[in-house]
Amino acid sequence: MSRHVLAKLTTAIVMLAVLIIGGQELYAHRHYEEPVVLGPGVTRVERLSDYFEPLRGTMNDSVVYVLEGEEEGGKAFIFGGSHPGEVAGTLAAIVLVENAVVRQGTLYIVPHMNRSGSTGTQPSGGYPLYYHIDTAFGSRKFRMGDRVTHPLDQWPDPDVYIHYPSGQSLSYVEIRNSNRCWPGRPNGTLTEQTNYAAMELIRKHDVNIAVDFHEAELMYPVTNCIVAPSKSASIATMAAINLSIDFDIHTEPSPPGYRGLSHREIGDHSDAYPFLIEVPEPFLDQPTGPKTESLLLEGKDEILMRAGDKGLLFVEFDESGKPIELRVGRHLSTTMSLLEEWNNFSPDLQISIEAPDYYDLMDNGVGAFLRDPDTADPSMVVFD
Amino acid sequence: MFLKVSLILAAMVAAYVIANGPLKLSVELAMVFAAIVGAVASGNWLPLRHIAEGSSTYLDLALIFFTATLFMNVIKASGGLDLVVRGILSRFGDKRAVALILLMFVMLIPGALTGAGSVSVLVSGGAVAMALTYLGVSKDRITAMIFLLAGLAAVAPPVSVWAMLTCAGTAIPYVGFELPLGIPVLILGTFTVMWLGLRPTESMGDEAMALPEVGPEVSGWRTALPFVVVFSLIVASRVWPHSMPILGLPLIFLVGAIVAYALNFRKIDFFKLSSETVSQLLPLLATVISIGIVIQLMTLTGVRGLISYAVIAMPLWLVFTLLPITIPVSEGILGFGGAAVIGIPLIWMLNSVGLHPTVALSGLSLLWCLGDALPPTAIIGRLTCQTVGFEDNYSTFLKTCAVPWLAITVVGTLMVIFSRELSFLVRA
Ligand SMILES: [Zn+2]
Repeated sequence: MSRHVLAKLTTAIVMLAVLIIGGQELYAHRHYEEPVVLGPGVTRVERLSDYFEPLRGTMNDSVVYVLEGEEEGGKAFIFGGSHPGEVAGTLAAIVLVENAVVRQGTLYIVPHMNRSGSTGTQPSGGYPLYYHIDTAFGSRKFRMGDRVTHPLDQWPDPDVYIHYPSGQSLSYVEIRNSNRCWPGRPNGTLTEQTNYAAMELIRKHDVNIAVDFHEAELMYPVTNCIVAPSKSASIATMAAINLSIDFDIHTEPSPPGYRGLSHREIGDHSDAYPFLIEVPEPFLDQPTGPKTESLLLEGKDEILMRAGDKGLLFVEFDESGKPIELRVGRHLSTTMSLLEEWNNFSPDLQISIEAPDYYDLMDNGVGAFLRDPDTADPSMVVFD
Repeated sequence: MFLKVSLILAAMVAAYVIANGPLKLSVELAMVFAAIVGAVASGNWLPLRHIAEGSSTYLDLALIFFTATLFMNVIKASGGLDLVVRGILSRFGDKRAVALILLMFVMLIPGALTGAGSVSVLVSGGAVAMALTYLGVSKDRITAMIFLLAGLAAVAPPVSVWAMLTCAGTAIPYVGFELPLGIPVLILGTFTVMWLGLRPTESMGDEAMALPEVGPEVSGWRTALPFVVVFSLIVASRVWPHSMPILGLPLIFLVGAIVAYALNFRKIDFFKLSSETVSQLLPLLATVISIGIVIQLMTLTGVRGLISYAVIAMPLWLVFTLLPITIPVSEGILGFGGAAVIGIPLIWMLNSVGLHPTVALSGLSLLWCLGDALPPTAIIGRLTCQTVGFEDNYSTFLKTCAVPWLAITVVGTLMVIFSRELSFLVRA
């Protein structure tokens, strides 16, 4: 055997070993199921496939937690995980599931809107596979995710993505971006089918308001805000004004020409009033140090701070960082403020809830609002 | 953190120099080696999961490279290319400028449709090179022309890969790019073919005379049909995007290869041809896989973030002055990763100082396409040399590119600086 062939053979064997050993970690992550403990407000647990049968058994047959009040009223559809790398959205939804109590009206909560995307991290992204939230009983472990649907669930991509039904062209990667695939369609891709199921839920229950939890880069102009189309604008503006005592927040209009986003299509294709909330997540920015779990959860970064000193950031950013309790707390308080404004706007369709808010989270951390799945009644634990 | 990440970067550079020099590793292995050294230096030990994950980043691109080359190799083996060259030359051989413009479109169309300059090189490069040889253009000029046109093809609308990748990362809609991308591509493409091809530099015609006779079994329709099939599938997915199943470019090219194989009457050993195609593409495939690993490890260690910061933290005049260097070099080092690492923060930065993102991004795209000829990766540059059979020194090829390169650089940079003034090009 010549030296050349030997070198090739060795490289091939080494690479194969790396793929097998490294791949096992990826496999374990893809199949890790997060426990969620049903809180006092949960009255039913459904799945998206209950609204669109073909999703059954797929990676995107996400859990829908239903919290019904004793009194009938308005209905809200609240979801995180459209972009599974924006973890505050998923956590805020889970905190609601484990803690919220509904007095009047109904909440439909989906923590993993694009569940498939949460079963893999971004190739070349260098992400951690999991993040852990410390609690009094130990830590709760969650899947870190990618921005888009996992290619094992939806592949190949076309060379250009043409949005349904508008026909607008977008980059090919956006065909797996849940927040470019609204309103979805029944015979489309997995991502489109998932959004279609959510639209069916919204239409079937005559949902009044839809809230989509996101996180954004600090270098991105659209952060610390509520994005709303013109039909939702007055509610969003009033909510933002009320919240501005607590933290920096503003409203952004949903551009009519930019299609496929939840804040545009949900409103155009149903009677619901859509809102999308952005909070700042330093982990997502390009100019940061290593993409570690602590950057994800504490949101402190020296390189990004220097970018802030140069005026390149759209939010204030200092040594205190943007910790996860701040981001989750913002989502919760903003949601409650939107519900309050909804109640003023539509008094006969009240939605009244009790849930932890921004100050509760800032004082006690996210862990204080997560329950222990090991000591909970097993019938009250859902694996998602 | 700054110091630590800077030291890791220094360790990576040193490791690369040692691996590529005394250790005599190939560029690809040296890059991976350097990235692993960086990961170890940052305390991540041997991050096997990251290496495995990073290696899958450009899987789709690798599949397109393979299937498109296989497709062209079948056509070539069946004598179809000879026929195409004869066709172009017999009709327009005496009208040099017209022939050059036609050849330019033959080069631009595949890349414009797919967003991949490599597809232009692989699909049209061989035939166009032969035609240019017949027109008396020397090999270094042919190589330069094919590379530059392939780059412009990737920039050209409707699918412009850098603009789309940056749009995806910045949430700027990919709309209104037709004119800001299309007009400069046509002007610069015409300039390139005229500058490099209008004056014959070799004696004309000899090579074409030496072409193997095109036998009666190689007919026009038999050569054209596989191309028609490939382009119809691409166009059909645009016209009926919601009723056509998504085939993806790899499958489309594979279908084209099978059609070409089924139609040709010459005996082709499909298996042998496939394995030859893999050997031919091995360096390129190794590059795209290595870049994925390298970018992942650079992100893991914070080096990617540091580089990205360095680019946007400069004063605006310096950013503008250095654009002709930073943008192509980022592409040369990171492949398409350059659009993510530098493009996204840069566009946000330019947007925040009031420039027009669509026009600025179009200008940047022109600069990015040049980087595909730059080492260490030099993806399209090397692919072009391979396809054309240019075996001279690589720097000779780069020197031949100089004048059109400069023209593209000037236009691209000015488009960024004057993007606000040029915003009339963007139709809402
Ligand atoms: Zn998002």
